[in-house]
Amino acid sequence: MGPALTVTQVEAPAAGAALRLRGVSKAFAGVPALIDASLDVRPGKVHCLVGANGSGKSTLIKILAGVYQADQGTLSVGGRTIAAGAITPGWARDEGLSFVHQDLAIFPTMTVAENFAIGTSYPTVAGVKIRWSEVNARCEEAFEKFHIRAPLDAPLAAISAAQRTMIAIARAHQAQGEDAGAPVLILDEPTASLPPSEAQFVLDMARRCADDGGAVLFVGHRLDEILFVADDVTVLRDGRVVRSGPLGGMTKADLVEQIVGRELEQPPVPQAAATDATEPVLTVSGLAGGPLHDVALEVRPGEVVGIAGLVGSGRSRLLKAIAGVVPQRAGSVHVAGSEIARGDILAAIRAGVAYLPENRDADAIFGQLDVRENLSATDVGRFWRGLRLRHSEEAADAQQSIADFLIRTSSDRQPIMTLSGGNRQKVVIARLMRTAPKLLLLDEPTQGVDVGARHELHRLIRAAADGGAGVLLASSDLEELATNCDRVLVLASGGIVAELRQPEIDASRLARLSFPHDLEPT
Amino acid sequence: MTLTDTTERAPSSDQPQTRRRRPSLERATVLWNLERFMLLGLFAAVLVLFTVLPSTAATFPTAQNIRNVLSNESVVAILALGSMVPLVVGQFDVSVGATAGMAQIAVAATMSKHGWALVPAICSGLVIGTVVGAINGFLVAKARINALIGTLGVMTIIIGLVQLYTSGATIVTNISPNIVKLGSGTWLGIPPTTWILIGVALFVAYLLGQTPLGRHMHFVGSNPTAARLVGLRIDTIVFRAFVISGFFAGLAGALIVARNGNGDPSNGSNYLLPALTAPFLGATAIRPGRFNIPGTLLAIFFLAFTINGLNLAGVADWINNVFYGSALVIAVTLSAIVARHRAEST
Repeated sequence: MGPALTVTQVEAPAAGAALRLRGVSKAFAGVPALIDASLDVRPGKVHCLVGANGSGKSTLIKILAGVYQADQGTLSVGGRTIAAGAITPGWARDEGLSFVHQDLAIFPTMTVAENFAIGTSYPTVAGVKIRWSEVNARCEEAFEKFHIRAPLDAPLAAISAAQRTMIAIARAHQAQGEDAGAPVLILDEPTASLPPSEAQFVLDMARRCADDGGAVLFVGHRLDEILFVADDVTVLRDGRVVRSGPLGGMTKADLVEQIVGRELEQPPVPQAAATDATEPVLTVSGLAGGPLHDVALEVRPGEVVGIAGLVGSGRSRLLKAIAGVVPQRAGSVHVAGSEIARGDILAAIRAGVAYLPENRDADAIFGQLDVRENLSATDVGRFWRGLRLRHSEEAADAQQSIADFLIRTSSDRQPIMTLSGGNRQKVVIARLMRTAPKLLLLDEPTQGVDVGARHELHRLIRAAADGGAGVLLASSDLEELATNCDRVLVLASGGIVAELRQPEIDASRLARLSFPHDLEPT
Repeated sequence: MTLTDTTERAPSSDQPQTRRRRPSLERATVLWNLERFMLLGLFAAVLVLFTVLPSTAATFPTAQNIRNVLSNESVVAILALGSMVPLVVGQFDVSVGATAGMAQIAVAATMSKHGWALVPAICSGLVIGTVVGAINGFLVAKARINALIGTLGVMTIIIGLVQLYTSGATIVTNISPNIVKLGSGTWLGIPPTTWILIGVALFVAYLLGQTPLGRHMHFVGSNPTAARLVGLRIDTIVFRAFVISGFFAGLAGALIVARNGNGDPSNGSNYLLPALTAPFLGATAIRPGRFNIPGTLLAIFFLAFTINGLNLAGVADWINNVFYGSALVIAVTLSAIVARHRAEST
C-alpha cells in the first residue's frame, strides 16, 4: 500500500545520545507493527515522534516501557545497552526512563503536594513520619522552576487539566533528578485531551525539562505543536522510520507528506448535505460539549456515514451526545423527527437510536451472564406474557440471532466471557438490531476483533443500512471508513473540517485531513 | 514471561486462544461440576457423620430434631432470600436482621399492648419492614449513598429505636396462641414456617427468573454502566430490590414471634450473619458465580445442621461463630480461586 518508502536518513550527532534505539522490530501474530526502527534522543533536546494511527508509535512506546517485548533490536540508555526484548518496567525505571501517559497516574482527591511527592521518596523523620514541610518546599521549588501555578493544598481534581499534566511531568522529571544518570522523559500524547490554548503550557513545560538537561521524547499528532516544540523529529509510517533527525527547516506540508506518504492538498469544504428526497433520520445542529463545538450533520436512512478524527477530536463524544449518554452543552439533536432532550438515554432509545459503546466489555457486556441473557438485555419485556417469561421463545430468538449474526458459540447458554472478542461484539450488535433501530451509532465496532469477524461485522453494518437504518460509524481505522462508508465526516479539534463522498474517500486522504491545520500556537 | 505469552496477549491475536480453547474447556467443565456439587457433597457428609457418630446418633436423625432445625432455620432462610435480592443488583442490605427485630417487636406490641387481632398485628410487621426497605432504597438508589454504610446507619437507628420503645424488656403477655401454633405445630408433617419458606422461595424464584424486573436486576448487578446504556432505570430497580428485602425482613420478624411466643428486643442482630453468609456461600454452589436460591437454601441448612450436630455432640457454643465465619471465608476464597482458573482457561 502507498508509494515506495524513501527513507531519509538524517545523521544526528551520534555521540552523547541519552536514549538510543537500534533496529527494533515487533510483530503481533505475524503482522509487523514495528520494522527495524532506530532513533536517538539527545540530552537537552525535545525529540518528537509522529505518525498516523497504526504507524507503530504506541508499540514503540510500549516496548520502551517494557509492556511489549520487542522481537529484535537494542536499546542503549546512558551507555548501557540491552536487547530491546529484555526491557522490563523495573529496568526502565532504574535506568532513569520516566513516562507520562495520557491517563497521567494521578490521584484526583489527593492534594497537589501529595500528588507531586508520590513516586519520589518522601523525606521522613526517623524513617516514619513524613516531613511535610520539606515536601512542600521541594514542591514549591519545582513549581517555581517550571512555572506551575497551583495551590499546594488544593485537591488535584480542582485544578485545570493542563496544570495536572504539568504536575505529572514535573513529578516524572523530578523522579529522575535524584540519581546521576542521563534523565529521559517520555511524554505520550500529553496534549491529546487539551484544548490548544492549554496545550501551550504543556509544550513550554516540555521545553523547560529539556533546558534543565533532560532528554525528552514527545509523542504527538498536532503538527503545529510538533513544529513549535521539536528539536528533532522521527516520523513513523506503517511501522517504519521514514525520517529521524533534526527538524531543520521542515514545514507542515513536508511533515504531512512524510506522515501519509503523499503531498498535502487543500481540504474540501464541508458542503451542506445534498438535498435527497428522503427525510434525514438524524439531524444535529449547533452541537457543543467536551471538545465539540458547533457540529452540524445529517444522516439519511440507508446511509453509512463515517466519522474520522484523531484521539481527542471528539469522535466518541459526538456519538455519546447523540445517544443521550452525556449531555451536550448546546445545540439540538433530532432523531426521526423527535427532539432528544440533553442526556436522555431513554428518549433516544424510544426514538430509535441504538448505541454501540467504544469499550465493549466495560460498557456493553454483562460479564456474569450467558449469551441468551446478553442478547435480550434491551427487550426481555417482549417475552413476558401470561405473568411469566416465555423462556422457550427467548431461546428461539437467541438461536435465531446466533444464526443471523454468525455468532460462534456452543449454545445460547454459554457464559458470554468464554466467547472471543469478535463474537462478543456480534452479540452486542445482534442485541442492538433486535430493536429495529432507525439510527445506529457505532463507536469502533471492530476494535480488537480478528480479521474474519471483522469482515462479517462490516457485512452486518451494511445489511442494517440496506434495511433502512441510518448508520453513524466512528473509527480510528481509516481503511475501515474508506471501504464501508458512503460519506465520511472528518473531525478535528472538535469541529467537522471536511466531508468526503464515495468514490473520493481513501484512507490517506482521511489521514491528511485529520491533522488539525488551523491551530496557531501563541 | 516468555515471548509466546506476550504474543497471545497482544490485541490483534484471537487465533492462538481459539486453538487452545478445546482441552481447557473440558478441564473447566470438570472444575465447574466439582464446584457446583461440592457444597451438596459436604452437606450429605455432615448428615451421614452425625447420624453414625455415637454421641449424636440417638438424637440427630430423629424427626423431632429435624423438624426443630427446619422450623428455626426457615426464619433465617426467609431473611437470607430477602437479602439476596439487593445482592443480585450489587448492593448490600445489612439492616435485614435489625429490621426483622423491629418488626417482631411491632407484631408482639400491637397484640400485647394495643390488643390488635392476629392478622392486623402481622400486617404491622410487614408494613414496618417494607417502610424500612423503602428508606434503604431511597438512600442507596436516589441519594446514591454507599449501601453498606447507608444500611449500617439504618440498622443502628433501628436498634436504638427498639431499645427506646421496649426499654429492653421482652414482651410476653397477650401473645395470640394462634401465632404460637404457627411457630410450633406441623402441617402435613412439616412445620408451618417451612411451608412459608417454600412459598417465599417460589416467589423469589419467580421474581428473579420469570419477570422482566428480575432479569433487569441481574443486568444491573452484572454491569450497571451497560444496564444504563440499554435504557434501564437503575434507580427504580435498586429501590425495588431494597423494598422487597425489607418486606421479607418484616415477614421474618412476624415468624420470630411465632417461634418464640414473645417479642425479645435483643433478637434480630444475631440473624444478620447467617442471612448474609448464606447467599455468598450459596453462590459457590449449584450455579457457581451467581446468587441462586437452591444454593442459598443449601447453605442455610448445611450451616444449621452442622451446628446442630456439633451442639448435640457437646461442643461449646463458641463454635457457632467460628464455624459461620470460617465457612464464609473458605467458601468465598474457594470460589474466587475457581473463578480465576475458569477465566484463565477460556
